[in-house]
Amino acid sequence: MANTESTPQPTSKPSLPVVQNFTRRAAVKGAFATLGAGAFVAAVSPLRQAAKNTTAAEFMQQHYTELSPEQKADVIARLEAEAKEQYGADVQIADDRPIPGTKFVYAINLSVCNGNGKCVEACHKENNHDRDTNQSYIRVVEMPKGTMDMEKGSTTYTGTVPKDDKFYLPVQCQQCDEPPCVDVCPVKATWKEEDGIVVVDYNWCIGCRYCEAACPYHARRFNWKKPVVPAEEINPDQSYLSNRVRPVGVVEKCTYCLHRTRRGRLPACLEACPTGARVFGNILDKDSNIRWILENKRVYILKEELGTKPAFFYYFD
Amino acid sequence: MSSITAPPGENESHVTSYPRFLGRSLWLATEGSLAFYAWMTVLTALFLVGANAWANQVAGGMIGTNMTDHVSWGLYIANFTFMVGLAAGGVMMVIPAYLYRDRKMHDVVIIGELLAIAAIVMCLMFVIADLGRPDRFWHMMPVIGKFNFPISMLTWDVIVLNGYLLLNLHICGYLLYMRYLGRKPNPVWYVPFVMLSIVWAISIHTVTAFLYCGLGGRPFWNTALLAPRFLASAFVSGPAFIIVSMVLIKRVTGVGGLDQPIATLTKIVRVTILINLLMVTSELFTEFYTGGSHTSAAKYLFFGLHGKTALVPWIWTAIGLNITAALLLLWPGLLELRRRPLLVAACCMAFVGAWIEKGMGLIVPGFIPSTLHEIVEYVPSQLEWKVTVGIWAFGLMVFTIAIKTALPTLRHPAEH
Amino acid sequence: MVGIVVWQQGHRAGERIEHPEDPLAARYAGAASPDAESSSAAQVSGEHEADSAELFSVLIRKPDGPPRVKLAGRDPQGRSPEAACSTCHSIRDPNFGNTTPATLDEFHQGLSVAHGNLACYACHNPQDADTLRLADGTAVAYQDVMTMCSQCHSQQAESFAHGAHGGMTGHWDLRRGPQMKINCIDCHDPHSPVYPKMVVGFKPKDRFNVPADDHHDHEGADSHGEH
Repeated sequence: MANTESTPQPTSKPSLPVVQNFTRRAAVKGAFATLGAGAFVAAVSPLRQAAKNTTAAEFMQQHYTELSPEQKADVIARLEAEAKEQYGADVQIADDRPIPGTKFVYAINLSVCNGNGKCVEACHKENNHDRDTNQSYIRVVEMPKGTMDMEKGSTTYTGTVPKDDKFYLPVQCQQCDEPPCVDVCPVKATWKEEDGIVVVDYNWCIGCRYCEAACPYHARRFNWKKPVVPAEEINPDQSYLSNRVRPVGVVEKCTYCLHRTRRGRLPACLEACPTGARVFGNILDKDSNIRWILENKRVYILKEELGTKPAFFYYFD
Repeated sequence: MSSITAPPGENESHVTSYPRFLGRSLWLATEGSLAFYAWMTVLTALFLVGANAWANQVAGGMIGTNMTDHVSWGLYIANFTFMVGLAAGGVMMVIPAYLYRDRKMHDVVIIGELLAIAAIVMCLMFVIADLGRPDRFWHMMPVIGKFNFPISMLTWDVIVLNGYLLLNLHICGYLLYMRYLGRKPNPVWYVPFVMLSIVWAISIHTVTAFLYCGLGGRPFWNTALLAPRFLASAFVSGPAFIIVSMVLIKRVTGVGGLDQPIATLTKIVRVTILINLLMVTSELFTEFYTGGSHTSAAKYLFFGLHGKTALVPWIWTAIGLNITAALLLLWPGLLELRRRPLLVAACCMAFVGAWIEKGMGLIVPGFIPSTLHEIVEYVPSQLEWKVTVGIWAFGLMVFTIAIKTALPTLRHPAEH
Repeated sequence: MVGIVVWQQGHRAGERIEHPEDPLAARYAGAASPDAESSSAAQVSGEHEADSAELFSVLIRKPDGPPRVKLAGRDPQGRSPEAACSTCHSIRDPNFGNTTPATLDEFHQGLSVAHGNLACYACHNPQDADTLRLADGTAVAYQDVMTMCSQCHSQQAESFAHGAHGGMTGHWDLRRGPQMKINCIDCHDPHSPVYPKMVVGFKPKDRFNVPADDHHDHEGADSHGEH
């Protein structure tokens, strides 16, 4: 590209200064301008490939909160068709809305968690994460006993757990009541819903990753490439704001499995936990498990000093 | 916009004469020597390489970059931040010219304003390059998209950057257009805008600093000193670039009257570079004397952490360049005409030093260690370098053409 | 191994023997699958936690019943014979002098016991070998083993009752569906109740560490430094 532009010019250059004729000079300039424009079109030709993957309907789609029920139905039908076309999977994408009178809260018993990572894997499968990277919304930090300083922790531990001098701190989206990620989003592509879940409209996110920079809990993930999930491994039970396969170039995050929890079920990471360290529930229900824990256990939150007010608690027996 | 601000001429309206002025300017700007054409050809070639790399990035996803979920901003945002500074730095010509009535500076002040235009164009290009979904750019536009104003600092940045671009386009466009019409510019139509642009220049870099320093989860950025530091380094890099440009303009085009502005700017950089170093020192003292976990990013940057040292060479290079440039600039002999090459060298050192300090020395270490204290290092990928070079080439093309358009004004400043 | 076999769930026996080194694998595989859960729901008895009739139940899985002991050798048809505890213990008098398997001269030898200083008959009923006994001598069916555990582990029992101890599946919202909980001995071998060690199997990778390119991670990225 660069060569086609640069080689002809020096050869024709010597004649330029002696050209006094205005029109001829204009023609030469026009020729080079055309050449440059042609070279530019050739240079950005890979964009045509990208444009093929974006339909006009997708390009024009409005923000989730502004879609009428009919528009939503159209969008969901389109997304289901795309899943069939691109992933070969028959999926059902629901539009699960918050249950009135519900505010979801999570708690983890650090006395029990042994860092086995089953939650990480369950999240990976449930949420149709990219298989190449073993992506997951959960990271488990192995911490030396006697400190809460994550600087001393490690997420890359392997082998037999638990190790005698360590405890294990699973971290995922804390569904903050004062979420910095929501504040910084320039296009309101992420927001907090009535039941406390911070969601992302994957079809509105522009991929600036400011939320990734703002989140103090490493809760957000960016789709650096198109996720790879074999058809037979796709979880077909999906929701628009939750675990549908995400497009490339947008940010995603833990939604407390809203496609399950808004239908009354427990999150996948909790069901997968073999140690029973995870507790989930509705904090507005005074008889709920989670309320009993907050009232009876020694509970703490991560990075309290940042004022993010997490809806995620850690406790010790 | 200038067509609205000035009354119509006697024979034809601005609606027709302003496009004619633009066409004439473009025609003149593309006239030039063999060296000029060679320079533009090289820039075009580099730009095309960058455009191609960017197109591949959009088509294949940002997997082509070396950014990760840990270091989610890299070379692009580093350059963006630096270019905002460069744009703001042009104000160091405007302030002496308009506030201190420095006649000589006033004659050539348009160089600073044109630099601001080129730099802001580059800023916007770097932001686009960093977007995962550039096709959804319209989501950020007020009215048709959803604009999270005033909560998101990024929306403030969009406003101030585009506002600064429009301000400078208007100021430069108006002055050059009046010259094209052969009229004396009416101060009413540009001086208030120039005054506004002074405040605005401070605002663009302050807002850009607020992007970072408002994030509680990133202790390395979470300092009140960030905005002043950004301004101080902007007032090093901007004037340094202008000094080098002026030396080149004088040599290539023979435009006179540049030596006194060069001296003024050199005196400015002499002070700002020391202020910048003072702020860096003050920041480092606070970090290292206090210690604790919040110091880990600074430790990683300057000495490496847990055996990871990718940024250590960068930051010490920057420190070395900044201190050498500061010492050279302190020497009065640097202003002697025969020592121009040394002045250019000092300015280049200050420029590169500021570039590293703001990018690999500030944006990247903000992410290392990550918020879960994982150390994932970042070194830009080849694709990122290509896109970056392409954008720089485009910016230099814009600046070159802009300067060429303004050459008649620079040659005969009295009429202006 | 005798201990593990004795305390296993009937329908999980095959899996348990396949992974003798990791007794959790079987439990986890079952718990992760909704089908396995519903099949086991047939073997659990309901326990209403709330008064409201509209609510679904919290179902706590119970052991099938008294364990059966595998006998050495095979019968003429090649099957491994099993016997109820009472088959032997009803015709032998309890010897209270044996407080650990170490002093046994036949049967149950080598059984690993690490449960405080409890003697066999602290929990096993000397009067009726097919039941357990509480500290006050009351007989308790094997199905109600949690009642016995709770005598000493009341704190855990309280936490369990409030969902703060022990795994579960199903629904958090009992208006919409039942919740299934596992019992003490699903995780804790009563003879050696320390929760077993596990091996970390699944790790998220950074996007550079794709399988085909395992060593090209961030150290590898350093080689780009010359650019």
